Amino acid sequence: MGVKLAVEIAGIRFKNPLLAASGTFGYGVEYEGILELASLGGIVSKGLYLEARDGCPTPRLVETPSGLLNAIGLQGVGVRNFVRDVLPRLARHDTRVLVNVCGDTVEEYAEVTRVLDAEPGVSGLEINISCPNVKKGGMAFGGDPGMTFEVVSAVRRVTKLPVIPKLSPNVGDITVFARACEEAGADALSCVNTLLGLVVDVEAQKPRLAFGTGGLSGPAIRPIAVRMTWQAARAVKIPIFGIGGIASASDALEFLIAGARAVQIGTANFVDPGVYERVLAGLTDYLTRHSLSDINQVVGTLAYPGDKPTGEAGE
Amino acid sequence: MALNRDIPLVRREVLEGPYLLLTFRHPEVARDARPGQFVMIKAGASAEPPLRRPFSILAVDPTHGEFTLFLKVIGAGTRALDALAVGGLAQCLGPLGQPFTLPPAGSEALMVAGGYGIAPFLMMSRELTSAGRPGRVFLGGRTAADLPLREPFARIGMPLVATTEDGSLGVKGRVTLALGAYLDEHSRPATLYACGPDAMLHAVAQLAESRGLPCQVSLDPWMGCGVGTCLGCVVWVRKPGELRAKYRCACTEGPVFDSRHVVWA
Repeated sequence: MGVKLAVEIAGIRFKNPLLAASGTFGYGVEYEGILELASLGGIVSKGLYLEARDGCPTPRLVETPSGLLNAIGLQGVGVRNFVRDVLPRLARHDTRVLVNVCGDTVEEYAEVTRVLDAEPGVSGLEINISCPNVKKGGMAFGGDPGMTFEVVSAVRRVTKLPVIPKLSPNVGDITVFARACEEAGADALSCVNTLLGLVVDVEAQKPRLAFGTGGLSGPAIRPIAVRMTWQAARAVKIPIFGIGGIASASDALEFLIAGARAVQIGTANFVDPGVYERVLAGLTDYLTRHSLSDINQVVGTLAYPGDKPTGEAGE
Repeated sequence: MALNRDIPLVRREVLEGPYLLLTFRHPEVARDARPGQFVMIKAGASAEPPLRRPFSILAVDPTHGEFTLFLKVIGAGTRALDALAVGGLAQCLGPLGQPFTLPPAGSEALMVAGGYGIAPFLMMSRELTSAGRPGRVFLGGRTAADLPLREPFARIGMPLVATTEDGSLGVKGRVTLALGAYLDEHSRPATLYACGPDAMLHAVAQLAESRGLPCQVSLDPWMGCGVGTCLGCVVWVRKPGELRAKYRCACTEGPVFDSRHVVWA
């Protein structure tokens, strides 16, 4: 009873450590009336470019064991339409809004950022350098440490809002990318985007997705995402949002214990819009069972083999 | 307004072959659902298969707070629902989507269904017959075993024309053939409604176009979420006054569309 679930990341206060992950919650307003948006710590918008986009051809989704492979290709309304039509509606809900920023070029990331910089309803910017389903930008930037640094620096130069690059798991050593972001002035990191995958239609001998490859999400990728969150958390000082297959309180706790300060729920939104309620109840129960009063006491408490025990949890 | 609930299975009725009727308690769906709307549903909270599945609502019983689905057991999602015991829980969100619009006064509702595409037309038939409005169902399949759900229509006095490609039941040939023949014989105003495989929907849309009749089609693309966020079920739709077609979510802007607005593949 009476446990504290609020977290503060990059100067943004979230009432609890659960955010909706980009691309799995639309622009948030789609869930008005289905769940209480104010029960979420925050919402990360679908990725936005300067202009509206059609995205990939269909089929765009295929189920996999405990997962989902998608190639949506960042279909979206464009950042100006979002600011005009969606932000005023989101302002009615007591939750934080992070906007996922996309670009074909470094300049476009900066342009989208400029449009959002002066908007009072925006708490922070998640920089999408990790979408696997676009031919330009996305993972092409997030797969190269030099380009990662360049994109994050360009965004950093044009905004005072918290800058939160979303890292790709499709790299050999995520700590290199985490450090590149930190050096470029990022305030926090999102770990991780989807894993590049391929599902084959054996009868037709072609990919099941029209785009070809896609991004794998859901519980299938969770151990990989937890491992990468843990690695990134040890490599940098800036805080981390853990993402990857979270569907229960126990899943969320894995990321927090591994070093994330908050988590984002993705594919589970499609499966059960009631997931936030369940996970929050589970977190409260966990704290109570362990005689803890604050979710921050859990962060980074992983006793990893060979590590020296730390006196205090977190920082 | 759609409501997300864990709902109990209250009745299961096994039909011929891979077909069954599942009745669940969900007072909001029972009260609010309109013909052509659907639910996203999954048996229990198990991890496999990961996603819920969309099903048209076959019938509602607002008095008892129940609704019924018509299923063809073909994949992991339907197998899991088939395995659900009476009293077991399903996760369900609904009612969802845009319903069919009933025909204007004096226009006969001609409902064309392929296989399990018959599902939305029972609720619609009930509304029509209870309002004393004219209607007719054309139900097609490859063979008689594809058409297990005919009796409920007879019970409410809704005429049903069955067609099979192999001639094992009703009129031999495709359902659009029987529809065309009916339109040839009757020149009164009609509104067409179609639910079934894409090729059938397109054929009905073409027939409607050639006769100058309004037509609403219910599309059934693969859906992930049912609320317009996963963007998996998009279809090309061009509405009047639009320069070009846009990808629109079948779950929120459909599944029912004006056939003239759909960009057929």
